[in-house]
Amino acid sequence: MTAALDLGLRAQAAAIAGGEVDPGELLDAALARIEQRNPALNAVVETFPERSGEMLAAAPEGPLRGVPVVIKDEWPLPWRAQRFGAAELMTPTSPGESGPYRALRDAGAVIVGVGNMHELGAGSTGNVSVYGAAHNPWNTERCPGGSSSGPAASVAARLVAGAVGADGLGSVRFPAAYCGLTGLKPTFGRAAMEGHHMAPLTTLIVSGPLCADVGDCRLLSSVLFGEELNTGEAAGLRIGVVRDTVSEDVTAEVGEACEAAIETLRAETGGEVREISLPDLDAATLAAILIINSESMSGTRPEQLNQLDPELSPIARGTLKYRMLLPAAATAQAQRVRTSMRRRLAAVFEEVDVIAWPTIPAPAPPLDSPLVELPSGTHTADQANVRGAALANLTGIPSISMPVGLSDERLPLALQLQATWGNDELLLDAAEALERANGRRWVESLPPIAEAETTEA
Amino acid sequence: MTEGKAQADEFIPAGLASLGIEADEVDLAVMGAVHGLLWPPILELLALDTEDVEPERCPDLSRAPE
Repeated sequence: MTAALDLGLRAQAAAIAGGEVDPGELLDAALARIEQRNPALNAVVETFPERSGEMLAAAPEGPLRGVPVVIKDEWPLPWRAQRFGAAELMTPTSPGESGPYRALRDAGAVIVGVGNMHELGAGSTGNVSVYGAAHNPWNTERCPGGSSSGPAASVAARLVAGAVGADGLGSVRFPAAYCGLTGLKPTFGRAAMEGHHMAPLTTLIVSGPLCADVGDCRLLSSVLFGEELNTGEAAGLRIGVVRDTVSEDVTAEVGEACEAAIETLRAETGGEVREISLPDLDAATLAAILIINSESMSGTRPEQLNQLDPELSPIARGTLKYRMLLPAAATAQAQRVRTSMRRRLAAVFEEVDVIAWPTIPAPAPPLDSPLVELPSGTHTADQANVRGAALANLTGIPSISMPVGLSDERLPLALQLQATWGNDELLLDAAEALERANGRRWVESLPPIAEAETTEA
Repeated sequence: MTEGKAQADEFIPAGLASLGIEADEVDLAVMGAVHGLLWPPILELLALDTEDVEPERCPDLSRAPE
């Protein structure tokens, strides 16, 4: 049964539907594999075999019937409140049926565990969490990415074939990139979001899938969207590239891998590459940070900040207090920048079908020192990563990250594609074309922790 | 002492005091670091000329702007 766990999401679902795999045995195998591999990863922070068994017993004949999945600690479950990777949240949480939970349940999926995450969703590395750091399956001394650290590490290590994360400033795409997965940040409002503690307030956060390849990502996206995302042709793709910090202040390995991937995508689709201009990208990044910070503090009373849980990290304590000092005028200005960027993007997407640039400027940094060396100097990974991710959250457009290579240290490198509002399907089609042109080389590469078991099996 | 550090040393304690928020040395050190990263770009953001940007009323983030 361990071999079935190494199949992708579609193949597991098909094997169960075809009677080749018993879903009860698959669930047991997933739980056993979590027990075996998770100690080195800290990807899954809680399992609940009885609840998982109940989900399986009640699973309808949906597209994921009997398939084990992991869900991020950002979503409530009927038997568990989310902790958001933190000792304390500014907003009370309670157990309940979140949108992603309902979508998974109604598709017949079996939630087998809760995935670790960066504390309060406030980091791109996954090295800070109330549960302890999650580890990257490609190198357990490296960051798995955040904030959806556990979901990504779970899929990369083949504990499960699919996981649900959330993306407010790149939190699906960073861990997808660091862990060699495909991750989609859907168009704002398109994926299930109910039950999230910030759902009534946020204008940036979306739920999103993390899977080994595009086909699996399409399937899990269809479940989260509540509609089938059909396959199309990304023929004659007009690919926009930006000659700016986001694509140029990257390591040589990242730059070369992404340039090669863009050229491969162009050739595969018979398309063309066009240079586009997106001025004020830095301002857009800051605007997204200011807006998400102000939204996250809505309803927070100053006295709450004098009674913070002592188990919150010093970074979280200081950052929460600092957010109270951010000037309202800057947030108002951020909204104007948002409007300006949305209009600019709408014009850009008249000229190109997708915008391509690296998801991350450097591969996964060390857990104990998440810094990256770039042509412009040494930066924290958070500082460097966010500038390539924030635009999609600020404006609402969809974005996908996919693996396009491995570094000399055998760490994944990733390309990000962005499309106009509602055109998530085109992103999947384009990513699938690139995946096909690459002979599925990168999506089928396995981290050492998963390779060892596959060889044994 | 750098100008930014000096600004943080004044701005942060004063801002916290005005809100009645307590902070220990570790909190202040974290806030000082965050301030050093965020404040210069905030000043640049505030200096951007956005007078010509007509605000979107109740923007629908799931769609292109009208």
